[in-house]
Amino acid sequence: MQDEIPAAASSPGTPPRVYLKGIAKYFPGVIANENVDIEVLPGEIHALLGENGAGKSTLMNILTGIYQPDAGEIIIDGYARQFASPVQAIAAGIGMVHQHFKLVQAFTVAENIHLGWDETPKRTSAAVLEARTAELAKTFNLQVKPGARVSELSTGEQQRVEILRVLSRRAKILILDEPTAVLTPAEARELFRALRDFVSHGNSVIFISHKLDEVLEISDRISILRQGRKIATEKAADCNPRMLAKLMVGRDIVLDDMRERAANAKPMSAEPVLKVSGLSALGDNGLTALHDLNFSLRAGEILGIAGVAGNGQRELSQVLTGVRPASTGDIMIAGKTMAGLKAGEFAAAGIGHIPEDRLHSGLAPAMSITTNAVMREYGKPPVAKGGFFSREAAGKLAREIAGAADVAIPDFAMPIRNLSGGNQQRLVARREMRIAERILVAAYPSRGLDVGAINTMLRYIVELRDAGAGVVLISEELEELLNLSDRIAVLYEGRIMGILDNNNLDIDEIGLMMGGRAHVGAGEAA
Amino acid sequence: MAYRIQRLPSSTPLIAFAARVIAVVLALLVTALILAISGHDPIDLAGQVLSSSLLDSFGLQDLGVIFIPLMLTGLSVAVAQQIGAWNIGAEGQFYAGAFAATAIGLFIPAPDWLSLILMVIGGFAAGAIWILVPTLAKAYADVSELISTLLLNFVAALMVYYVATGPWHDRMTNSSTPKVGAEIPEFWGAIHWGFPIAIVFAIVLALVLSNTKWGYEVRLSGSNPSAAEYAGIPVRRHLIMVMLLSGAIAGFAGMLEVAGTVHRLQGGISNNYGYIGIMVAVLARGSLVGVIFAGAFMAFIQNSGIILQTQGLTTSAVLAMTGLILFLTAIGEELSYYRITRDKV
Ligand SMILES: Nc1ncnc2c1ncn2[C@@H]1O[C@H](COP(=O)(O)OP(=O)(O)OP(=O)(O)O)[C@@H](O)[C@H]1O
Ligand SMILES: [Mg+2]
Repeated sequence: MQDEIPAAASSPGTPPRVYLKGIAKYFPGVIANENVDIEVLPGEIHALLGENGAGKSTLMNILTGIYQPDAGEIIIDGYARQFASPVQAIAAGIGMVHQHFKLVQAFTVAENIHLGWDETPKRTSAAVLEARTAELAKTFNLQVKPGARVSELSTGEQQRVEILRVLSRRAKILILDEPTAVLTPAEARELFRALRDFVSHGNSVIFISHKLDEVLEISDRISILRQGRKIATEKAADCNPRMLAKLMVGRDIVLDDMRERAANAKPMSAEPVLKVSGLSALGDNGLTALHDLNFSLRAGEILGIAGVAGNGQRELSQVLTGVRPASTGDIMIAGKTMAGLKAGEFAAAGIGHIPEDRLHSGLAPAMSITTNAVMREYGKPPVAKGGFFSREAAGKLAREIAGAADVAIPDFAMPIRNLSGGNQQRLVARREMRIAERILVAAYPSRGLDVGAINTMLRYIVELRDAGAGVVLISEELEELLNLSDRIAVLYEGRIMGILDNNNLDIDEIGLMMGGRAHVGAGEAA
Repeated sequence: MAYRIQRLPSSTPLIAFAARVIAVVLALLVTALILAISGHDPIDLAGQVLSSSLLDSFGLQDLGVIFIPLMLTGLSVAVAQQIGAWNIGAEGQFYAGAFAATAIGLFIPAPDWLSLILMVIGGFAAGAIWILVPTLAKAYADVSELISTLLLNFVAALMVYYVATGPWHDRMTNSSTPKVGAEIPEFWGAIHWGFPIAIVFAIVLALVLSNTKWGYEVRLSGSNPSAAEYAGIPVRRHLIMVMLLSGAIAGFAGMLEVAGTVHRLQGGISNNYGYIGIMVAVLARGSLVGVIFAGAFMAFIQNSGIILQTQGLTTSAVLAMTGLILFLTAIGEELSYYRITRDKV
């Protein structure tokens, strides 16, 4: 794909589209950015890599006027600029799509596109807005449904709306913060096609991602941040995943097969710790999202759930942890039925849950790190003493969890939303593993984590397995599933297409099942 | 050199407090200006207000008498805020509490001490009952409590007006019920024992919220209900309990007003305390201890208003002044997120 770079990118003398010069940003106790120099050329897709908390999001928030730099300059097309707000940044042609979308869920696509835009006709109707939206969608070659409500769209569709919103305001620089973390592979391919199309007109893209393969595939150049400082900028053509990982983390990272059990690992139990029979459940829209699921999990076993996101994974993780009621069927934990019980009782039975949308269902973003860290254990001693809540013990527990998660926190009273996305995820994961005495239900546990942290996270999961817990691992990363799982179930449209033993697995077969073809000889015995 | 205005994602407590102080000072300045334009001498009036409220023992007693209901209605609104609900109905619950207390005082024959105990229970219960339907509608059908609590205010006000001038009316006054026999003893001058009780109430509730398991669950439910569900907290049960508690506190305030201050039921007994309580809670930024200070401040403003009325100003001018303070505080709150930066180029 190197020969696809337009001439503009390489011709000398063109000023860089964006030149960040000596940028610094300090938060209390944290150097988020220091002395960062980055040039983004016209016609270039520039990737930004770095560990969790390296300062990628902060740097982009500075470029788009959400934060002001404590030092340094922003130079756009040769002119020094200052942006006091994202509105000014977009007026200068810089638009950002955040990891957590900022669309109005109750509005239609057309309304969201035209919201807060000075080119929206003053007197208008739904039909006019929708026609304009369809027109824009055609110009930018992005398929959206102008009349649909945002709440009805898939994540990938919502992201397209966000991108269209930015592009329609004539952005020349598009910033994407971990855009593919929530996309299916097909949606990601479509996104890449749109990005290539966008830069082929001399525009630029800044792309933040933790997925090294995809960074190598899509980007022209790669800049790497470590602890707030820029370490290197390299041509993608000169890079490979291994060296990138090493640059980011400062040491070698090897993702390996973790099915091997430690010598002192507890053996897999004979009796299942979790038995699911005839389980169905409704989705948020009131339609059946899970159909008649039957499977079991032993203590000391990892059951992988493969499938394209949006095929019932969210509902499955919620039903297995008591957050969502089952409509029919039964869940037995260690031989006892959990029918009619709620999330609290599931947690008390030793089930941890790393939810898919940590920010909305696993955390209270506006509350302190301590409050969030103790969410699972506030009702037990030492945090609870009788009916009392010991703030001292809560602080101690929070420090313990942060220590185990390897997250440095300057101030535990700070709202947890101030932490970087990956660090929030690490805290949630450690918090849940502490209570997962019997079972851990982990939905996309490595989503948003850097390569080093993914490795650590998977190792923790393996340790939990070796300590005798059963793990339900929901993931889209086939490689991750193959490296960890003892068995793999494939979920498609809320049904299990088959459960396969993970030895000499035929990857193509899994691929077909993910597309809806039932496994020949399906049906599984406990 | 150019200046720019920038919006920050969060504001610090210090800046928020400063914004609040500036808002209040501005509101007072604007009021002074209006007074000056309308031919009054604002400095002279301010002197009068100060000397006959803060510097005078009777004035201080008047302040205290207004403080008790204001602080409690403010507490009622702030308590509901803890679980993420807006109780706009403290006014109605106040009336309901006053109504129940009067009914018990007038019609249940009992020694004073027993009558008082029954009135306290009745006040709490009536306030809770008055918010019961909006609470259940919110908990089970997700009906916005903003409107349902507000609407019941009118019902309560009319009901009290009707009994006070109709079936329960006193032949002498015609506009209120006869005197209720049982009285809350006075504590200092005209200030009754409701004063320390109200303050202790706020402090105890604040401590309960920050230092008990229940308080933790309530705060988490108020901040993010789906995370609270996930943590196994019975969010709906807490919502119901906290909203009923909020109503009960406002009802208690109404009861104290009857048994401690007015000693009878009148049509306008609430004096808008329920609505001003919303202002108190907003000024306190949701802090239950802050309600004590915000309540004292609003009591001072209200009392100043009464003093100004004796100087020939109208009730509506006084209402306008309090409205102005709320308005400017809301603006100050928003502005505390902004910072002015200077361009270097
Ligand atoms: N508003 C804030 N207040 C205090 N600290 C902050 C704030 N925003 C970010 N930080 C801190 O700055 C550092 C950099 O965070 P940033 O979000 O830029 O990381 P990131 O590179 O995007 O990480 P990730 O890959 O996990 O998303 C982190 O230590 C974070 O806790
Ligand atoms: Mg980030």
